[in-house]
Order: sequence, then C-alpha cells, then structure tokens
Amino acid sequence: MTTAGNAQQRIDDYLNRLRGGLRGLRPEEIREIAEELRSHILDKAATDGEVTAAGVDAALAALGTPEELASQYVTDAMLARAEVSRSPVGILKSLFRWGSLSVAGFFVLLVSVIGYGTGISFFLVALLKPFHPDTAGLWIWRNGGDITYSVRLGFGPVPAGARELLGWTIVPIGFSVGFGLVMLTTHFALWCVRQYRRSRALPRG
Amino acid sequence: MQYKILTVKANELRELESADKWEVQLRKGCLELAILAALWGGKLYGLEILRRLESDSDLIVSEGTVYPLLSRLKALGLVRSEWVESDAGHPRKYYALTPAGKKRALEMAGIWTRFSSSMDQLLAPLGKGK
Repeated sequence: MTTAGNAQQRIDDYLNRLRGGLRGLRPEEIREIAEELRSHILDKAATDGEVTAAGVDAALAALGTPEELASQYVTDAMLARAEVSRSPVGILKSLFRWGSLSVAGFFVLLVSVIGYGTGISFFLVALLKPFHPDTAGLWIWRNGGDITYSVRLGFGPVPAGARELLGWTIVPIGFSVGFGLVMLTTHFALWCVRQYRRSRALPRG
Repeated sequence: MQYKILTVKANELRELESADKWEVQLRKGCLELAILAALWGGKLYGLEILRRLESDSDLIVSEGTVYPLLSRLKALGLVRSEWVESDAGHPRKYYALTPAGKKRALEMAGIWTRFSSSMDQLLAPLGKGK
C-alpha cells in the first residue's frame, strides 16, 4: 500500500488534534487510540492499494471532527472507570471529569458530593460519639426565628441553647444512615452514568 | 384553510420525527449486544466489525461511535485486543470476546429473545390488520 504525501499529512493533522482532546487519558491509551484510528483510516481510504488524499478526506469525515471523537473517547473511558471502580473515590474522580464536560455531569457531581458528604458525616459522628459523648451527635437550636439542625462531630463547643436529639442512639442510626446514603449515592451516580452513556451512543441513519 | 393544511402537515411531521426518535433509541439500546454478537464467531478488527454490523443487521453505526465503545467494552473486561501485522503494511487491532464478554452476550441474547417473542405475540393482531 502506498500513501500520497498530502494524504499522510492530513492523517497526522487529524491525529494530532485528536491527541490534544485526549488529555487526561494515560499516554499508552492515547498512543493506542491514535494507532488504531490511523490503521482504520488507511484501510478505509485505500483504493487498489493506494491511499489517496480524497480517500483520506472521506474516511476522516466519516469519523467526525477529532474534538468530538476525543470527547466521546474521554467520556466513555471515564464512564467505564466509574462502572468498574464502584468505590466512592473512583466514582467521584470520574464525576469530576464528567462535571467539567457538561451541565448534566456537574449536576450529578453536585448531588453525589452532597450525598457522600452527608453519608460520611453520619458515619463519622457514630464513630466519634464514644470519644466526644457530650458534644458529638445530632443537635437542634434556634437561630433567631430559624430552627437549625446540625450533625456535629464533637470538635469545638456546642452553640448556646442547643439540644441533642438522639443521644447514644446516634451510633446505630449514624452507621445505618451513613452506609445507606453512601450506597444510595453510588447507585444514583452509576444509574446516571449508564443513562448518559446510552444517550451518547449515536447510530447513523 | 391554508392554516389547517399547515397544521395537519406539522402534526404529520411531528409523528414522523417521534417515530424516528423511537427507532434511534431502539438502535442505541442494541448496539452493545450487536458488537458482542459480531465478535461471537472470532476476532475482528474495527472496520470488520462495522462492516459486519452493516451487512448482517440494519444497524448502520457511525464510525466515531464504535471505536470509543470498543474501548469501553475493553475497559469493562468484556473484550480483549491484540495488534496483528497485516498484508496492507500496517498493523490492525483485533478484538475478541473474553469469558466475561461471552457470558454477557449470552445473557443479553436471552433477554432479547424473551422480549422479542413476547412483543411478537402482542404485535400479531397488528400484522393481521394490514
């Protein structure tokens, strides 16, 4: 197979733009993606053993712009990592990437951060109650006309006039609610990820 | 009168668009199963998978969709890949099902068969009404 000089240049330009959009993936992943697409373009553009500039243009047009293609690779890789990891840290790392790409991702990230944050707070208060029996727990107090609820870990003084609501029952409740919220947030994040992935598969015609 | 004709045409157009959207959603849902099924017979490279999908099914898929999806299936451990030298003068990346991919393909095929046979029963009266 022979490749015309300007055809080769067009492929290199396309792949360079693609590599620019793939930042965030591992270097070996980027190299492999670029080489696979080079192989695809050469196969698609070859006519009677010769790769012409017109053939390359048609093959590149069928792939879409390098920026769109890179975005799809990055999003798919991020979603796959989230599905495989199943740990809050792994999921949040993927959601940060998704959140930087779209409004939907940012919304899911926000809800997940709140869900994990609240869950971990309940978990920690249950864990710290034996060490701070007088200050850790679920507290309620009046702040002017507003009633304020607060999950306190026990560091620092309790606000004046505050009353503890659950006492020692915060230990089993904190562990249960904390675990439940973390699980619920994980399921929510993975469900959103799967919905988003389905919506991004774009068949032609 | 002209207004009425325009309204009727707009409604017809909306119905067509709605049917198109439904078909696109249906195709999207099948894509993963279609790729796993295309690899059931043995290893293929990306362009061969695309051609298999086009020749053996109605799924005409954009090339920019299949390659990232293959990467994701690999990350999920459903397919593995290897580079093989070719007569064309450049290596090609071949994909093959892993044991997890085969299991997933069988599960999805089972769900598909049960679903389509129950839909066939439900749709049978519509065929008679043609």
